[in-house]
Amino acid sequence: MIVAQRKPFAEIAEAAAGYRRVLVAGCGTCVAVCLTGGEKEAGILAAQLDIAAQLGEREQAFGVACVERQCDREFLDELAAQVAEHDAVLSLACGAGIQFLAERYPDTPVLAGVNTTFIGINNDVGVWGERCRSCRDCLLSVTGGVCPIALCPKGMLNGPCGGAEDGKCETDRERDCAWTLIYQRLENTGRLANLEPIITARNHQASLPGRQVHPAYERRYSAHE
Amino acid sequence: MSKFKEALAAKDFLLTVELDPPRGPELGPLTELAGQLAGRVDAVVVSDNRGARARLSPLLAGQALVKHSGAEVIMTLTCRDRNRLALISDLLAAAAAGVENLLLVSGDFVSLGDQPGTKPVYDLDSVQLLQLAAQMAQGRDPAGELAGPTPFFLGASLAPEARPLGPQVMKLKKKLAAGAGFLITKPLRGLAGLKEFAAAAGELPVKLIAGVEVAAGAEPAEVLSLAREVKAAGLAAGVHLAWPEQPQRLPDLVGQL
Repeated sequence: MIVAQRKPFAEIAEAAAGYRRVLVAGCGTCVAVCLTGGEKEAGILAAQLDIAAQLGEREQAFGVACVERQCDREFLDELAAQVAEHDAVLSLACGAGIQFLAERYPDTPVLAGVNTTFIGINNDVGVWGERCRSCRDCLLSVTGGVCPIALCPKGMLNGPCGGAEDGKCETDRERDCAWTLIYQRLENTGRLANLEPIITARNHQASLPGRQVHPAYERRYSAHE
Repeated sequence: MSKFKEALAAKDFLLTVELDPPRGPELGPLTELAGQLAGRVDAVVVSDNRGARARLSPLLAGQALVKHSGAEVIMTLTCRDRNRLALISDLLAAAAAGVENLLLVSGDFVSLGDQPGTKPVYDLDSVQLLQLAAQMAQGRDPAGELAGPTPFFLGASLAPEARPLGPQVMKLKKKLAAGAGFLITKPLRGLAGLKEFAAAAGELPVKLIAGVEVAAGAEPAEVLSLAREVKAAGLAAGVHLAWPEQPQRLPDLVGQL
């Protein structure tokens, strides 16, 4: 899932300060699961903003909404009536959702209430870890199901750097060295031969904005272009 | 032909030293220090933003030492600060500057340095950089023919004390396959780690130089003793000496080895 972290309250309050009626819009998918931007968090944030506005003697009102996914047009459409009644929308969706909301409602200022952090997994209750950089050229079959791009700070592709010590990373001795994990996993599954060929320089396509069309829809969309 | 390559082939035991380019625009003191070391060491390794701390470019420092110090130069180039365009460009520049030996490394991560918020590059890793430099030695880069080859003597770094050993040995084999002609280790803490590494890696097709470093605030006696142990144990073809805090004392230290 996409993991996000709520922005510091002061930053949110400052961004919203210039608007009288602000709609706090949650998203019911990834950011709800990581306890950052779902319906419950949207309600709490709106209440906090309301209290802060009262303490600061600012005339502001905060509405609350939550849609299933802010990255889908059909769900964003559900917000039309509420958006029309507010001066700004404070979105708690990931960066993609915030942008799509802004695109859908071009006349309304859209503010970001979270920092999108990574594509990750739920490690334990309340703990998430990054696992994927969406590089568009997945190496996980070769690297034993452990990603050297997401888990090695240097993105080394041919083994550990010289900073690895006791299986830990030079950037943080609490952090596992990705290449130690890769090596051990391949060793345990009898696949160390995977590591013999040199992985050559990669095509860094992820620097270009991505666009993807499902094969079944290729004709439909190519006709529009 | 690189004098360092000749020395590595001909001599029983080599001595190299590490020098950092200045954190300022004045190259005189570095050139003078390298001049004092020339003839007493087999090569001077010019570092490249060592420890992810910005300093004058190793290209310009390398050129100054080649032209004015009389020392044989090994220039370090990291993957941390350059994408492949910059790497190709700098490899060409190094050749034009008269640098004949390169130490190609991934580079300490930026969070350990003095600009921790900078964008780390690592477009290539050290193995891929060795491949690139080896390709350029044949007069080509990934885009096609170059106007001329850049026949460097290529070196790689080695972390014999890093554990577990398996991944490090695997990486070393790739560096050798990619064209590394010599190895310099990270500063050693003792001999035990190097012995274990040597046993795990087997006989190496290229020569290995053992790094030793006088740590910040330390005195050189222990390092001298470790360097002598390395030599006596026959575990390395030479010693690479670094004293980042007091490089001006390196000539004196070299005299004691």
